[in-house]
Amino acid sequence: MPVWLRQHSWRQTLTAVYFSLPLRGARATPANIFCSEQYLKVSIPPFLFEAVLYAPIDDTNSTAKIGNGNIFFTLYKKEPAMWDSLTIENAGKEKLQYLRENAVLKAQEKAKEETEAKKITKQEHKKYALEAIMKVEEAERKRIADLKEEERQKVTKELESWKNQQKDKYKSIQKKGELHQEVQPLKERKNAKQNKTRIPNEGTSKIRLKSMKGRGSCSIFSQNLKEEQLPGPRAAATIKVNFTPRVFPTALRESRVAEEEEWLHKQAEARRIINSDLSELEDLKEEEKNPDWLKDKGNKMFAMENYLGAINAYNLAMKLNNKLPLLYLNRAACHLKLRNLHKAIEDSSKALELLTPPVPDNENARVKAHVRRGTAFCQLELYAEGLQDYEAALKIDPKNKNIEKDAEEIRHLIQETMQSS
Amino acid sequence: MSAAGAERPQVVSHVQQALSYTVFDCKWVPRSARLLCLGSAARGTGLVQLYELHGGRLELLREIEKPKPIKCGTFGATSLQQRYLATGDFAGNLNIWNLEAPEIPVYSVKGHKEIINSIDGVGGLGIGEGAPEIVTGSRDGTVKVWDPRQNDTPVANMEPVQGESKRDCWTVAFGNAYNQEERVVCAGYDNGDIKLFDLKTMSLRWETNIKNGVCSVEFDRKDINMNKLVATSLEGKFHVFDMRTQHPTKGFASVSEKAQKSTIWQVRHLPQNRDVFMTSGGSGSLHLWKYEYPAQRSKRDAEGSEMGVPGSVSLLQNVTLSTQPISSLDWSPDKKGLCVCGAFDQTLRVLIVTKLNKI
Repeated sequence: MPVWLRQHSWRQTLTAVYFSLPLRGARATPANIFCSEQYLKVSIPPFLFEAVLYAPIDDTNSTAKIGNGNIFFTLYKKEPAMWDSLTIENAGKEKLQYLRENAVLKAQEKAKEETEAKKITKQEHKKYALEAIMKVEEAERKRIADLKEEERQKVTKELESWKNQQKDKYKSIQKKGELHQEVQPLKERKNAKQNKTRIPNEGTSKIRLKSMKGRGSCSIFSQNLKEEQLPGPRAAATIKVNFTPRVFPTALRESRVAEEEEWLHKQAEARRIINSDLSELEDLKEEEKNPDWLKDKGNKMFAMENYLGAINAYNLAMKLNNKLPLLYLNRAACHLKLRNLHKAIEDSSKALELLTPPVPDNENARVKAHVRRGTAFCQLELYAEGLQDYEAALKIDPKNKNIEKDAEEIRHLIQETMQSS
Repeated sequence: MSAAGAERPQVVSHVQQALSYTVFDCKWVPRSARLLCLGSAARGTGLVQLYELHGGRLELLREIEKPKPIKCGTFGATSLQQRYLATGDFAGNLNIWNLEAPEIPVYSVKGHKEIINSIDGVGGLGIGEGAPEIVTGSRDGTVKVWDPRQNDTPVANMEPVQGESKRDCWTVAFGNAYNQEERVVCAGYDNGDIKLFDLKTMSLRWETNIKNGVCSVEFDRKDINMNKLVATSLEGKFHVFDMRTQHPTKGFASVSEKAQKSTIWQVRHLPQNRDVFMTSGGSGSLHLWKYEYPAQRSKRDAEGSEMGVPGSVSLLQNVTLSTQPISSLDWSPDKKGLCVCGAFDQTLRVLIVTKLNKI
């Protein structure tokens, strides 16, 4: 139950109401005060003061001053009139409730409106800032474009003047050509030994000088002189050329070299396999050239305990296709039976290599490979490596009791050897 | 010393001309403000268009149509008076045309079995000494040197050894033509080979492989003792070789630069400054470079033979003009900084590079 604060003193003028509320030691913050048009509440747990005001007030302009152990309210009335009392007397409970809720709602709406207004002003500020930035950038761009345009204009003008210069030069050369034509025969004999070549534009100034002096090769006809002194056509010859070898007809690009090497490598391997086939297998029957058929044959021989025959079958199959992991796996089993332990280890290792993408599909095969290799290691008394393989097998297939049992045995063996040594 | 930002050369686009055909090569007509475009029309015929630069536009003066598409052309081997154009076309024909009377070629030979990819001329225009000659490089793997005074047979033929599979020759360039006897042809192939043939001794002088197909080679000047050679290739790389010192085993020293990710289609040196060159790329960009010589151009190695020292290359400016490769580029020999470039987006652009005097 809250403690009601009832002691308050108030006085009023026509437009405002002033009243102070003693707080009895509680500390107030602005959050504790809730005010709407006709309802005022101060709630500082456990203290509570509420008042349904006699008439509506202007709650935006009204103030509350907190200090000295009380709150001093300055409430501005909406309609200037003298109040009979601060609160409405005889307000029914329902009315009070209604007013309270209303007040709360109104306050919420006001809060919402305020946030909306704030948002809008913020957006407008942002827009303004953006526009300002855009203007600045535009100005910069324009400045640069103007510079470029200026440069262009300047250069265009230069070009035009140069062009006109060229035209004038060309005309003056033509005129000189006509002049010189008349004087040419005499001069040609004089200049026969002089091997001067003249280029019209570069030599215009020189020509003018020389013509004043009375000699000088003429621009147009010097060309004839030059031709007479040109060496004859070369003696025809051929140079043989060797190119850096390249298999592909396309151009060489550094970025593609790696790809091309790989491709060539694969081609070479494929060719090798095909070639090795041809030499030895001419006398075999059709079915015997099929690695799968040979693998089955090998399996059958293994079942009948003909281990050497099985190995032969697997060898032949491998010549045809050395990328089948099962062949290596089965051959490892044969070697185990024959106690060729090192070969068994090699083959199971190769099988594991070929089974490299460790997917659920080749789980069985991998378990077998690990087990066989582990067995071979143990029989060579390399128990540590054997244990490693068994544990790998267990990791792949944890539910296999046999493997677990064998792994345990090996661990015991290792411990015994460690204790005894 | 790199140029400050405000002093860097600017590439200003002066005129853009939209064409209705694919342009493969563009060349300035020497001693004039006219330029030539060579290409292939949609219907599979060759086109030669002559434009004149008037104010801010290009005016079409003449259009010539030929039966086969034209890939490349040069004015390098004609005199300044005649200004005959030598062209190589898609069928392997080399023709020399008088543009005043273009119906019948002045010289014509079916030089190669396949498309002539590149052509160069030397001895004309008052540049270089010695006989005027034209070299063509073709997809049939041969490089042939022709003399316009000798019909039907080339004066030099660089062909693959019998039985060897051929590689496309993508680019050829003349160089070292500083007197009447000396001359050198450099050829670049699609497997990255660069070969230098000496025409005086008719032998292979040097070869190397730059690991990417060679799109364009050019000497910095054709008419001097060979100084520098720039070779551009696929994958955005180009190499600058110092050609003054040849080591017996290591050949010529070089510096290489990777400019961009796309193919560098062309390199062209500024005729007025042999250390400045422009490369055009497959991404539609142009890069302007300057070569700086090292403190000492050659040094002695452990065995005592002379070895060249490569310098360094710095980027002066770059600009992207188009989205399609810029396949051809030519500087005007008369006005410094004026150049034309043709791109595969069927536009011809005349550009002006400013502030080249300040480099």
